[in-house]
Amino acid sequence: MTMTQAPSGSSSGTPGGPLLRVRDLHTEFRSEDGAALRAVDGVSFDVEPGRALAIVGESGSGKSVSMRSVLRLLPRTGRVTAGEVWFGGQDLLRLPERQMRRIRGRDIGMVFQNAMEAMNPTLTLERQLTEHLLWHGVCTKSEARERAVRALGDVGIPEPERRIRVYPFQLSGGMRQRAMIAMAIVTRPALLIADEPTTAVDVTIQRQILDLLAGLKDQGTGIIMVTHDLGVARYFCDDSVVMYAGRVVERAPTRELLSRPRHPYAAGLLGSSVELGSRDRPLHPIPGNPPDLASRPRGCPFHPRCDRAVLPRCQDEQELIQIGGARAVACWRAEDGHDDQ
Amino acid sequence: MTTSDVDSPGSAARPLVAAHEVSKVFGSRAGEVRAVENVSLHIGVGETVGVVGESGSGKSTLARLLMGLQPCTSGRVEFDGQDLATVPGKELRVLRQRMQMVFQNPFGSLLPHYSAVANVMEPLRLHGRGTKTSRREQADALLEMVGIHPGFGELYPSQFSGGQQQRIAIARALALEPDLLVCDEPTSSLDVSIQAQILALLGELRQKLGLSCLFISHNLAVVERLADRVAVMSQGRIVEEGPTERLFEAPEHPYTRQLLGAVLPVTM
Repeated sequence: MTMTQAPSGSSSGTPGGPLLRVRDLHTEFRSEDGAALRAVDGVSFDVEPGRALAIVGESGSGKSVSMRSVLRLLPRTGRVTAGEVWFGGQDLLRLPERQMRRIRGRDIGMVFQNAMEAMNPTLTLERQLTEHLLWHGVCTKSEARERAVRALGDVGIPEPERRIRVYPFQLSGGMRQRAMIAMAIVTRPALLIADEPTTAVDVTIQRQILDLLAGLKDQGTGIIMVTHDLGVARYFCDDSVVMYAGRVVERAPTRELLSRPRHPYAAGLLGSSVELGSRDRPLHPIPGNPPDLASRPRGCPFHPRCDRAVLPRCQDEQELIQIGGARAVACWRAEDGHDDQ
Repeated sequence: MTTSDVDSPGSAARPLVAAHEVSKVFGSRAGEVRAVENVSLHIGVGETVGVVGESGSGKSTLARLLMGLQPCTSGRVEFDGQDLATVPGKELRVLRQRMQMVFQNPFGSLLPHYSAVANVMEPLRLHGRGTKTSRREQADALLEMVGIHPGFGELYPSQFSGGQQQRIAIARALALEPDLLVCDEPTSSLDVSIQAQILALLGELRQKLGLSCLFISHNLAVVERLADRVAVMSQGRIVEEGPTERLFEAPEHPYTRQLLGAVLPVTM
């Protein structure tokens, strides 16, 4: 890669502090019968510049809704009911929409799972990339094309001068995914939010895309990677947050999380992971299914599926307990003396 | 899980289904697409063969050829010694009962306006097996076997989670007591914890029922876990084939090495 410019760090928060601080975020959806469904229930995390945070969880755990809440891109039925999202010295949740639009796509880049749905099929890459730059007033019209070509080259699209003239559907899945990353980074955002960016692509392409994102990270971009794949978290992310039923159940440096998960759900995810060379290791699937948001279990939402649950203790709310400097676990067992692992 | 017979190439077992130099060419405006080219592959009785490859490598087309769902452009497929292309329609219908398929998207493969139990009963009814009562009993037993409480049998597919839908699809595939089960990416749309449940279930059923399996996946770790023998496909061809352990430990073809090298470890 040939990126020389530093990310637009000037817009971030206090020097040395986290780039993004999410505190006690709550998001609700109204169901058809008018009941409130708590999709995100008190989520907090930080993203540091030049580091990647994995948000790990299964479908319905609230990981994507958390990101959409941060970006204020919730569907009409959804609403952030409480919390703070600090970025660049401002609480994004309290900004007027006009200002939010200036930040979204310029200071915070976004990459989604399906590039085909995220791009406008009727515009060439050139239009998509340059309009984006011009709308945000990042550069002049004459510079825009040059920057767009450079961004395509940076993400490893061969012959960017020629490819910039094509439509998204004329690209293969891997190339399209790269084009979307190019669109996300063309403004040099300080923060990049990537929601399952490699789930729909082949393994060999996945590796290339992750290496590309790693290059951005090395240049100071903070990255949030939403993923269900622990392999991706391990390969790419310095820190991880594990979500279950709208809550953070464990937060830890990724290596520590994977070598010794402390929350039973995190341990269950690891026991369910199939990886190369593990043929002789029996699988330990987590029994049952994730809870329906409309009928969330009391206390720890995981306790009905947890083989180590003790009632009634697990029916009490489980606060995140700080263990060591960088880890926190929402399970009373993690406290000293209880953890008999 | 197989242990002792892993090192034998599996050819010792009588082949249940065998593709002999099959090719499939699709015509399109842009020209011909050679989806499968000159592939030979067999599945022995009681054996599980995995096919891995990236999207567009031809693995699903190969499965459809083996199932006789599409005619080969050249080459032939034999099921239990009979050439699928020459079997008359009526006999083919009988033969088809012996091979069943499980797809990636369980919701798309179930009838949405039929309850879970009716979905499982449907193949029995189509092939005129038993009476309404006996079909119902059989379907209840199948649902129980795949871990769906028969009390939920009257619910519709949309009322189940993805993993449960896949269990129902598996129960339906097993209703006709097939000899061959073809699974095309059966866990790819499922969450990690649910994938583990389905893999455990498939492993269990395969052993209990003595099924022969063709297991297609882009996920190498999943194939490593379930297959006795693995074929690696790239651009319509099998580039390498061998017993699972040998292939994963000492891959010979550069493409196999490239694929294995791209897999991200979780704990190791």
